This record gives sequence, structure tokens and C-alpha cells, in this order.
Amino acid sequence: MTVKIGILSVAHMHAYSYASAVNALPETELVGIADHDQARAESAAKAFATRAFGSYEELLAADIDAVIVGSENVRHRPLTEMAAAAGKHILCEKPLATSVADGRAMLAACKSAGVRLMTAFPCRFSPAMVRLKSAVDNGDIGKVVALRGTNRGRCPFDWFTQLDQSGGGAVIDHTVHVTDLMRWLLKAEVTEVYAEISNRMFQKEFDDTGFLTLVFDNGVFATLDSSWSRPKSFPTWGDVTLSVVGENGVVTLDMFSQNLVLYSDKTGGVSWAPWGSNIDELMVAAFAKAVASGAALPITGEDGLAAAAVSFAAYASAKAGKPVAPEVVL
Amino acid sequence: MFRVAIAGAGGMAHMHASCYTANPNACVVGVYDKRPEAAAEMAAANGATAYASFAEMLDAARPDVVDVCVPTPWHVDYVVAAAEAGLKGIVVEKPMGRSVADCERMAAACAASGTPLFVAHVLRFFPEFAEAKRQVDAGAVGNVVTVRTRRGGSFPRAWENWYGKPDWSGGVILDLVIHDLDWLRWTFGDVERVFAKGISPKLPPDSEVTSDYALITLKFKSGLIGHVEATWADPGGFKVGFEIAGDAGLLESNFNQPAGVPFMAALQRGAEAGAAVAVPESPTAVNPYYAELDHFLTCLATGATPSITPRDGCEAVRIALAAFESAQTGEPVVLP
Repeated sequence: MTVKIGILSVAHMHAYSYASAVNALPETELVGIADHDQARAESAAKAFATRAFGSYEELLAADIDAVIVGSENVRHRPLTEMAAAAGKHILCEKPLATSVADGRAMLAACKSAGVRLMTAFPCRFSPAMVRLKSAVDNGDIGKVVALRGTNRGRCPFDWFTQLDQSGGGAVIDHTVHVTDLMRWLLKAEVTEVYAEISNRMFQKEFDDTGFLTLVFDNGVFATLDSSWSRPKSFPTWGDVTLSVVGENGVVTLDMFSQNLVLYSDKTGGVSWAPWGSNIDELMVAAFAKAVASGAALPITGEDGLAAAAVSFAAYASAKAGKPVAPEVVL
Repeated sequence: MFRVAIAGAGGMAHMHASCYTANPNACVVGVYDKRPEAAAEMAAANGATAYASFAEMLDAARPDVVDVCVPTPWHVDYVVAAAEAGLKGIVVEKPMGRSVADCERMAAACAASGTPLFVAHVLRFFPEFAEAKRQVDAGAVGNVVTVRTRRGGSFPRAWENWYGKPDWSGGVILDLVIHDLDWLRWTFGDVERVFAKGISPKLPPDSEVTSDYALITLKFKSGLIGHVEATWADPGGFKVGFEIAGDAGLLESNFNQPAGVPFMAALQRGAEAGAAVAVPESPTAVNPYYAELDHFLTCLATGATPSITPRDGCEAVRIALAAFESAQTGEPVVLP
């Protein structure tokens, strides 16, 4: 069965990568793209050789099985609710929502409509992450005691730094990926968040750097650097790293380290040419497979909300100057 | 020629002794250690005399300089005794003391007798750390927005497992990353607030460990945020690295995994693993330990003020113990 997919907004740059994956995979078909910015929908549709629909409603009325929501963060809720009402399964870009209330509403809408909601956490599909998880699950390092993670990037600007569109700066943007990896790895929930958050990089109203400390319900502690602290001259977009400290050893992940180093007189600098596996494609394939077979989704909307709630708690902690408990979302 | 007497004959004492012996302006004249055979061995290796007590060494060896390399909680006893002996100078290994009060006592005793006291924060003499400070000061990365350091490797074995007794060594937070805390304060100024999680601070007093790990978040008075990783839980060998992100660039030293290696595992292979303190090597023309001790001796000869003051030693301990306290209480600790 071919899974027919529509894309609701390409405001987020990841939506382009997902569109490319949908086109590349034999089991999926890209039926069309809609966007509240019609020109953006048309240029993306042209780039991916698909149809630009005139509205979200029109695309949702077409013959599709599922949608990918790639909008600005604050539009995740209304677009998910529309797709659920139309009976479409949903792969939603992270962060799932910009508030716990919005996230709960999305989960409820999908549940009552009988559609399934997956959060776009492609890092779970990284072969190196899968290898790390199997080493930990296998007991290679014994009982896990601590984690140290990073997810840094260059500042994406655009709507990402407009708080009424994004719900937050670097911390909401970069907390959720590695928090999800940590929850997945530990099979545990975050019970406490402490954060030092700053806007020293750009000195604007949005946060650009954040150091989080997390405590999990199994006693494991962790820190996470969620920052837009890579300079324009950095050789790639950023990083995802995770170090897992166990009683009998340490395993470490540097997810995007599979690169050639390119010194180019054309660009006047050093850059990395990645050769690692396409994790966006692996994720879209897993979503399509679950949609087609009716099997359980590998990642749920609940996972997305739990990770987002940690970023909300980080903002609350930084404001209060002390550790806070994230809202329990499940 | 400075006549140097050394208290302690463990790993760092050996390193210091070899630096004095190599220095044309110094010689080791006395060694004292609670273990007579260790003192005799180190004395023989450096053409010095081993003494049965510290008091006897102060009296009989007629030292100009005393270098204190005993386990941390006893620094205060030796430094205060040495301060009262009318020496030309005293060196104390890092961390300066086991408590801020001990550090203040040492500083006061040395100030009272007019004896210069040098805290051996050798990291300032490691070329990559010295160069990083020069780059930061020159504005190479613009305004610094985040700084991260990491340090550690396998668990260090030593006399009486004293590194493994947090009451003695302070664990990774005090013993190990005091290096980074001093370098951070030297480079980025005073710290306002500390939050930390760690293994040893949560254990009951008198505990003994064979593994320790801590993650420390710092908020500097300047607004900069910092992160310090400390490990004695990594069997994969000693690693040191730092990363300084600014609004105009990024400076890093040995911080990431080798290119093309997204997964690495370092596993404990048995009880015999990690038989000694691992000391990193990156050969340069001047040994940083030699450089720090030569700096102090040069200052003593010329009357110049050493680049590391007793207050520096005290403040690094204050930050480390604030991190230890935060890890115990679960709350951020604001420094005075």
C-alpha cells in the first residue's frame, strides 16, 4: 500500500527534508503541499514536483492518508486539530506544542478522531543512537548514573526568533531532541529541571543559550546544552551529542560526526560534507510503515509533549532561579 | 640556588621534585612522608635527604622553600607550620585546602610571616589553556556566551584510596575540576551562582568510592554561563577539553570525538583497570609543572608577585565547595 501524504506548511526547514524523504521512499507519495503563505507552498511544490493546494482545507479534503505538520510552532495545534477532524494521521514537527494546554488539546483531538499522532524526533533513528541504546540495554556499562548531552546550532532567525510564532528561543528549539533521547534511553520521566538561560549571543528578547540540569524519576541526573551558540563560520549546522556514564563504563554519541572535511576556496572556508545515514528518511519510513500496517507508532504525541514540557520547565526554572518540576503531561 | 624541602612523596611530589632537580636555580634538600620508604626512594632519586618528621626537616634541611604535596586535608597543618619557620616561600598543591576556612588560615599565616604562598594551579601553565585565555582576552571569539570544560578518565588509585574518600579529597568536584574552576575564574572572572549534580556529595560521610562523576553549571558575575564535566568514571583514558562560544566565533580544544566516529564505548575490563592517576601527555618544549614552579622561584628571586595568589587558591576552593553543597542540597548556591 502506498501511503499518501500531504504537507501542512513548510515554514520549518525540516519540512523540506521530509518532503524529499516522502519523494524518495517507494512506499510514500507526496500528494501536495499547503501553506498559509501561498507563495511558499507554490515554490515548495515546484521544488518537490507536487501540487500546491490553495488552502489547508483543500489539501485535507484530498485523497491522503496522513499529513506532516511543518509549520511555525504555534500553528502545530490548529493544524493538528484540523487534520484530526479530517481523519488524517499526523507526523508533527517538534516541539509538539508551545504550552502543555495546547499539547493536551492535540492529544485529545487525535484520540477522539481515532487518528494517530507522531512527534518528529528523527534522532531516535540515528544508527549510532540505536547502537548506543543497544549497548546500554545490553548492560555493557552497567547501571546508568548520569548523562551529558548537547544540541547546539546556528541561530535560524526567521520566525524561530519571533516569540509569538515560536513560543521561545533556543531552549524550546533545542531541548526536546536530546530530552527525548534521554527519556527513550532511560525509560524514565524528568522530575526536576534547573536551567541557566541567557540571551548573551544576540542580546535580543529571545533566549539564545541555555544550560539545563535534569533529574529523572530513576535518580539519574543529566545536563543538556540547548543553545544557538555555533558561529556563522562553524563547519556545519550544529551538533547532537550524548555521553552516558554507567557504573562500568561510558558510551558516547556524536551523532553528526560522519563527515568529510571540505576546504573550499569557493566558499572561503572549512565545511563538513556529511555522509551519515539520512535519519529524516528513516523516520518518515517508520511513520509510513506504522500508518500502513496499523502497528504502534515508534514515537507518540505523548513523547513530544513530555519533552516539550521539560523546555517549559526550563523557562520556569530560569525565571525562578531554582529547580522546578515539569508539569506531568501523561 | 633555592633549597627546597618537599612534604609528601606521592605522584605530584615526584613530579615537583623532578622539576626542581631539573631547575638550575633549585635543588631538593629534604623529603618527608609518613611512609619512610617512599620518602627514602624519592630523596635518593633527587639527591636529597629523607627525614623522619616534618619538624626535623624544617630544622635540619635548612630549606628556603617548602613544597606541600600531601593529601588535601593536611595542607593547612603543613603550610601553617612552614609559615612560622621563616622561609623564602611556600608552594601548596591544588586544591589549596579542604575547606574555605583552611584556605583562609593558610593565607593569613603566610601573610603574617610575610612568606609568599603559591597555589600550584598548574593548568594556567598548560600552553593550550594559556593560549585560550590569550585568545579570549584578544577578542578572538567576540563576547563569550557559553564556556564548557571537561576533564577526567579512570579512577585514580593512591595511598589509602584517599581520592576515593570524599571527606579527604572532595571527590571529582574539589580534587579534579578545581583546575578548570581556577582557569575559568582566571579567564572569565568571578562566579555568582553554582548548581551541580554529582555522585559523591550524595553519599553519607566516611563513604569510599571507586567511581565519581559530576556536572556543574556556573553563572558568572558577567552573565556568562559555564558547564564543567568531571569524571573518574571513564575507563577510556584521561581526556581534557574545552569549548568557548562567543558572538563572533568558537574556540575549542580536543572537545569532540574523532571525525567519523559517532559511537564510542569505554568499558571497565576488570578490577585491575586504572592502576594509577592518569596524567595526560602532549609533549611541548616546557613541562607545565616545571614552568609553574620556575615562575614562583623567579618571583622569589626578583621580588615580583606570583601570578597565582592565595586568594585565587581560596576562591577556586570556594566555587568547588559551593558545587559540592549544591549537589548535596539540590539547590543553587549563590557565592558571596
